[in-house]
Amino acid sequence: MEESNLKFIIAAYSVSWLVILGYLARLVRKGSRARADYDLMSQEIPGGGPQ
Amino acid sequence: MSSKPDDQLMLDSGLSSETRTAPPPRTSVLFGFIAFAALIAAQVFSILTSPAEGDMGHLQKIMYVHVPAAWMAFISFFVVLAFSVRYLWQKRENDDLLAASAAEVGATFTGLTLMLGMIWGRPAWGVWWVWDARLTSTLVLFLIFVGYLALRAFVDDAEQRARWSAAVGAIGAINVPIVYMSVKWWRTLHQPPSSPATLDPAYTMGLRLNAIALLLVTIYFIRKRYEIARLERAVEHLAEAAAMGGK
Repeated sequence: MEESNLKFIIAAYSVSWLVILGYLARLVRKGSRARADYDLMSQEIPGGGPQ
Repeated sequence: MSSKPDDQLMLDSGLSSETRTAPPPRTSVLFGFIAFAALIAAQVFSILTSPAEGDMGHLQKIMYVHVPAAWMAFISFFVVLAFSVRYLWQKRENDDLLAASAAEVGATFTGLTLMLGMIWGRPAWGVWWVWDARLTSTLVLFLIFVGYLALRAFVDDAEQRARWSAAVGAIGAINVPIVYMSVKWWRTLHQPPSSPATLDPAYTMGLRLNAIALLLVTIYFIRKRYEIARLERAVEHLAEAAAMGGK
């Protein structure tokens, strides 16, 4: 594999995984914050949240 | 906040107050694990089994991430179009949330497609960027959906936000066929669309596997983002209910 091409192939796959894993991390962080907000709010409101 | 009475809001969304404040089901972690494992397996398979291409050599391997990323962006924007139109028709809140979730995932994949295209373009064409019809129309698509997400972030009234973003989402998605057809309608530096029908058989299996694996990841992302959006809306509904109860 030509060395100069290899550099671009590695860059492409690295960028792909950075974006995909970065977005996954964002979803996990945002999801746990939303779940915590929901649990807190449904405890504070009598009759709120799942019955 | 909407000025409509709570009863009217419930009628508009077609949901009871209990449904509006109930937590959405959790997205399957196992499904996410399978999707990511499939993506790793597909990439390893395609890198190891595809031969060097006649013109581009091994640079062709970038196709296995660039082309599926573009397809997933198109699929996500089709979801935006379908649920935006359904929102405008039936005014169901969950349709708005699903369209917004797909728009965020679609914008992410469009951004990735543009970056991968630049990485491919530098060694293949000698430039990172050229104002070619395919690249420019893809950039416009990306900017439309960045604008869509910005609009949602800045409009406080939930009903107004849903109506405006459904209109922008539906109009924005119309750009998808323009992006797809751009290489046929105009003389471009970008090559014609790659698909299993136009590729050498040596590369079709790798492309198919990567597309299926990335589709699983896309479904997982949209499903997870939708779960979060519903949780955030449920919190807003609980806050509204608390404010009304405190009056």
